[in-house]
Amino acid sequence: MLLLIGSFLVLMIVGVPVAVSLGVASLAYLVIYGVAPDIIAAQRMIAGVESFPLIAVPFFIFAGNLMNIAGVTGRIYQFALSLVGWMKGGLAQVNIVGSVVFSGMSGTALADAAGIGTIEIKAMKDHGYPVEAAVGVTAASATLGPIFPPSLPFVIYGMMANVSIGALFMAGVVPGVVMTTLMMVTVFIFAHRKGWGSDTPFELRRLASASLEILIVLCFPAAVYLLVLAGLSINVAVLIGLVALVALDWYFDFSAVMALMTPVLLIGGMTMGWFTPTEAAVAAVIWSLFLGLVRYRTMTLRTLAKASFDTIETTASVLFIVTTATIFAWLLTVSQAAQMFSNFMFSLTDNWWTFLIIVNIVLLIVGAFLDTIAAISILVPILMPIAARYGIDPVHMGLILTLNLMIGLLTPPVGVVLFVLSRISKLSIERTALAILPWMVPLFVALLLITFIPQITLWLPTQFGLIK
Amino acid sequence: MNEQQHAPISVEEMAHAFEEEVGPVDLSPYAVEDWVNLAIFWAMAICVFLQFFTRYALNNSLAWTEEIAANCLVVVVFLGSVMCVRMMRHIQVDFIYQFLSPKLRRALELVVDFIVIGFFAYTTWLMWRYIAIVGNERMVTVNLPRGYVFYTVFAAFALMLARSVQNFVKDMINEKTVREEASESGAQGI
Repeated sequence: MLLLIGSFLVLMIVGVPVAVSLGVASLAYLVIYGVAPDIIAAQRMIAGVESFPLIAVPFFIFAGNLMNIAGVTGRIYQFALSLVGWMKGGLAQVNIVGSVVFSGMSGTALADAAGIGTIEIKAMKDHGYPVEAAVGVTAASATLGPIFPPSLPFVIYGMMANVSIGALFMAGVVPGVVMTTLMMVTVFIFAHRKGWGSDTPFELRRLASASLEILIVLCFPAAVYLLVLAGLSINVAVLIGLVALVALDWYFDFSAVMALMTPVLLIGGMTMGWFTPTEAAVAAVIWSLFLGLVRYRTMTLRTLAKASFDTIETTASVLFIVTTATIFAWLLTVSQAAQMFSNFMFSLTDNWWTFLIIVNIVLLIVGAFLDTIAAISILVPILMPIAARYGIDPVHMGLILTLNLMIGLLTPPVGVVLFVLSRISKLSIERTALAILPWMVPLFVALLLITFIPQITLWLPTQFGLIK
Repeated sequence: MNEQQHAPISVEEMAHAFEEEVGPVDLSPYAVEDWVNLAIFWAMAICVFLQFFTRYALNNSLAWTEEIAANCLVVVVFLGSVMCVRMMRHIQVDFIYQFLSPKLRRALELVVDFIVIGFFAYTTWLMWRYIAIVGNERMVTVNLPRGYVFYTVFAAFALMLARSVQNFVKDMINEKTVREEASESGAQGI
């Protein structure tokens, strides 16, 4: 076991690609200890990605990439500016609201940081905010990407831990709102202490129209519900609702209604059993194709091909890790690592919150060093059986795991979001890390709340009957 | 204590700051296998859509779409991984490289290259032996040999091996290493 974990860590630190490190460590263990014929590794690798739920991964990435070229970016920020631009520290608030809207369309933190982060940081810098503040807000708000549905880490966690992906998506909503609120409060405090002014004039008309857009999006499910009560079949009701919405949007030219609809359609479709997570991902792709090709007409065949290639690249680099991590995780189970860890935990404590404190500390350390997907694939087989013995809901565990790993993306030595932001802002890694530091406070408060108040996570999916 | 002081400007004007300028798209770095992969990727999308469509519109879901789509994913991942090998886009950790002298760094990169090439050589061989055992399996829902998938995965590993050797040779000849070129185009991960 020492050979397995040790060689993986050494290889990874030396700079061997994470997937290859996992593969080499597993194969070495297999060959040296002869636990099983090495040919099983080949079978595990293929079986690791031959799964229908995993198909959701490329399509959620694709939907996010398409949204970036669908011409919604400018509209979303116009919406965010109308909504919160007048507050003190307006652009920082806009940054957060923009990320929230985007996280409803993409499922990754990196897409948030690298895609819209570039323009957010530039806009804040151009309007007199210190670069450090811009970097900090962008980093913190990027963590919302995988918490608000859709979310790629949830898909992979759901597959590994055998948990309903729909329930996980639903569970992410309230924690996402809690995190957003905490971050906005942080911006408010910063704005007061540093004397940030507002960036756009306060106009009641704009605020009202932006609020109206949110209201329209929220009315959609209500309208569908009423139509169903009126005796229509659910399919017809949704279709009528969609046609009416598109017509309204065409007539009034809303800024963000179409973008805000994405998570509503996904969540609604999955909770009503309309589609599986995989089909939801394809629905998101079709929705963004509709926006880019029909509604806003900004896509061309070339940009479409480029977006597909980018998607394949991200998918392959992420799922190739899953292929070799599958062998690694299997060997961890075979070598009784999970059993040993479990016994060790129970010798330490038998109440669930001490266990969760230890898990959080372990996860924060692991997250600072390990890639998200590798961490999920390795840790799930170890943590799940223990969490079950402590009576912790697997959905709750998924939220804790993901949030910890997202915080890990912001911390040195290995933090992808940290690296990307340092490149965008042209600050050194050290200065970027320092700039992010104060913005860790709302994230840690959120982590504590989510860890110790399971209801934050479990209330919504329980209401919808997704978990018992 | 005022770090930022200016008159508020209108929302329209401000929103311009968030408009992204889109440059011309460059599709030249993509190789033949990438275009093949693109076709398979879209085929997978169509399969999933068909499944959804046949279930609701025709009330008679096609059984084979799920299996074909899952097999497409296998191919997309391994062929896409060839692209990642060629462009050095696999997720890797390179933080210790900041602390090393250029000479030591180059030496370590060579070690890494050898490990990667060795791994792909071994897995190619492994896949070859695996095909010998399961190459004749057939799919469950349609009468198609699964060999298509296995041989493509084998080809993908062989290509990964070839591409990593190619990169190694390139590094020996060129002034600028493939890694340096790759590091200019952003990070990878989720």
